[in-house]
Amino acid sequence: MEELIEKLKGELIAELNLEETTPADIDAEAPLFGDGGLGLDSIDALEIILILERNYGIKIENPAQGKEIFYSVKTLAEYITANQKK
Amino acid sequence: MKIYINADSIVTPLGFGTQENLAALCSYRSALSWHESSDVASGPMMMAEFNDHAIRLESKILNLESQYTKFERLVIMAVNDVLNQTHTDIADPSVGFIISTTKGNSVLIDHTAESQDGRVSLWKTSDRIGRYFGAANRPIIVSNACISGVSALIVGKRLIEAGVYGSVIVAGCDVLTHFITSGFKSFKSLSTKRCVPFDGRRDGLNLGEGAGAVLLSPNYDENSILLAGGCISNDANHISGPSRTGYELNLAIRGAMSEAGVQPADISFTDTHGTATVYNDEMESKAVTLAGLQNLPVQSLKPYFGHTLGASGIIETIVCAHELRMGTIFGTMGFEKPGTPMPIKVSAEHQRVKKMHHCVKTASGFGGCNAAIVLSVPQYAKTQSEPAPVKLRSIRTASVFGSQIKVGKRIVFSSKSSEFGVFIREAFKKLGDDNMKFYKMDNLCKLGYVTAGYLLNGLQFAPEEMGIVLMNSYGSLDTDLDHEKIISEQGDAMASPAVFVYTLPNVVIGEICIRYQIKGENTFFVNEGHETERTMKYIEKAMEKTNLHYCIFGWCDLIGDKYRAAFSLIENTEYNGNIGAGAGTEGSDTSNSK
Repeated sequence: MEELIEKLKGELIAELNLEETTPADIDAEAPLFGDGGLGLDSIDALEIILILERNYGIKIENPAQGKEIFYSVKTLAEYITANQKK
Repeated sequence: MKIYINADSIVTPLGFGTQENLAALCSYRSALSWHESSDVASGPMMMAEFNDHAIRLESKILNLESQYTKFERLVIMAVNDVLNQTHTDIADPSVGFIISTTKGNSVLIDHTAESQDGRVSLWKTSDRIGRYFGAANRPIIVSNACISGVSALIVGKRLIEAGVYGSVIVAGCDVLTHFITSGFKSFKSLSTKRCVPFDGRRDGLNLGEGAGAVLLSPNYDENSILLAGGCISNDANHISGPSRTGYELNLAIRGAMSEAGVQPADISFTDTHGTATVYNDEMESKAVTLAGLQNLPVQSLKPYFGHTLGASGIIETIVCAHELRMGTIFGTMGFEKPGTPMPIKVSAEHQRVKKMHHCVKTASGFGGCNAAIVLSVPQYAKTQSEPAPVKLRSIRTASVFGSQIKVGKRIVFSSKSSEFGVFIREAFKKLGDDNMKFYKMDNLCKLGYVTAGYLLNGLQFAPEEMGIVLMNSYGSLDTDLDHEKIISEQGDAMASPAVFVYTLPNVVIGEICIRYQIKGENTFFVNEGHETERTMKYIEKAMEKTNLHYCIFGWCDLIGDKYRAAFSLIENTEYNGNIGAGAGTEGSDTSNSK
């Protein structure tokens, strides 16, 4: 799990253009969206859906479903562990 | 001066010409159908796509040779129909020509080519269309995302009022391509069923294609409809998500009603953007309520035409004009169960309404832009109050060239690196701006954002009293190529929403509006050159009509490693301090001197 969390942090930084953010800056349990945390928005959520599909073979058809899954890096890692096919 | 819609044409899969389209609507026929497979999308899709055979047949009638693309043909068909209905001589220099589109010939974009087919460039496409007709004026391109059509009507009206033209042909068109369908798919905003605007079951929009054209002029006959008012605003909230309050669309509606001299009670119906995405319709229900129109009929025409993007504002406005004449409000086909946070009056069935006098047409789009117009039956037109005179002067300039930024004549920043990425990042940091979203922007937006930062530095203003009008020659081609590369190399399913959202040039205006909280006029033109004189006349009219204190007027162009920006801050020295166009109309009767 720890390994996956670190990998995810790197992917988020690269794919979402989170410049000037290092993996150490990201608290795995802090909210990804909204004020505080990383301040991601709806376009970032769609990009995370793409990351899941491309890198982990996980499809999320309904973006509304993403709310709990995308809460934090940790919830994201847990979801991937439970659903990964690749 | 009053400006009328004098002839019109709609070209969609429902028919060639306005009458065929109206007949289809009268009998609840939709252009939307399920396509198991198609040339314009990967995988099945519910959409309104032309039958190629029908276009070929119609082209033959017009003797349109194969050198013209589908986009160009559709524009030519609609404009040709309008010219045939009137005595307009398009070779006369007093006749203006405007084309609204989001993506024009996007089918020709090719990242592997050494240089792009000239027709990819919006102004070159417009040049071809202009030459087909022997037009005296090369068509002006308005590319304002999904409000382009309504925007272009407002631009046409204001250019006549400003004395630039005696009359103007306004055409709008978009055609479906992999470029477009893959992008909307990546946004998860498409429904697999026929869209149901404002309904609790709505789950997305359907794409459509088509063209529309009208003639705007100060002359009128018994069939004319008055374009009584128009106003554009920006949410200043998010580049793709609609406002959470609807306040800014409400500002545009109020601005348009104020210019037309009408009160909510005068309006017979509102034709909304009504795309049937969850958030768009939610926002519109709030805006309609804030504007005082919630107890009057509201419709969306998207279940008939789909979302025809840059054409939708023109096509739907034409339908509205005919609804006023026919005494019919078309039903929002398929509507069953109300599903918006603010209750509004939507009906699935057509309604016969006697004596309709005025209606409102709205649109909203990426980049946070909103537009609204008021149409009136001429004999019921209200007396419009004279706007206060404006006096304009340029109070500041900021320009970016090479790796230098100048404010006025003074060099305020220069970088050792001529590489755009390095230069713009250093220039951004020098501004002391800590907006992390800067790094997510495409290069065109970074260029405009930083230039605006140096221009506005320290200036205080209220959101509604500032407007912004930008233009360039390459549109969003730099990012268009990135999007096209992704889908051609990795497939449509890998389209990136964070790239696709920047394939609209007006999104740079959206980014500036969000950062500096600008909610007034916003329009994006694609021209070969600066067209300073004409554009300044447009800006003067926009500032006068919507009561702006300031307006940014700028050139912002970027392709590959070539870039150039030059912004000017225009002040209205006669500004009276009554903020915004819509302000003061709430519950007041003073703007309507019957």
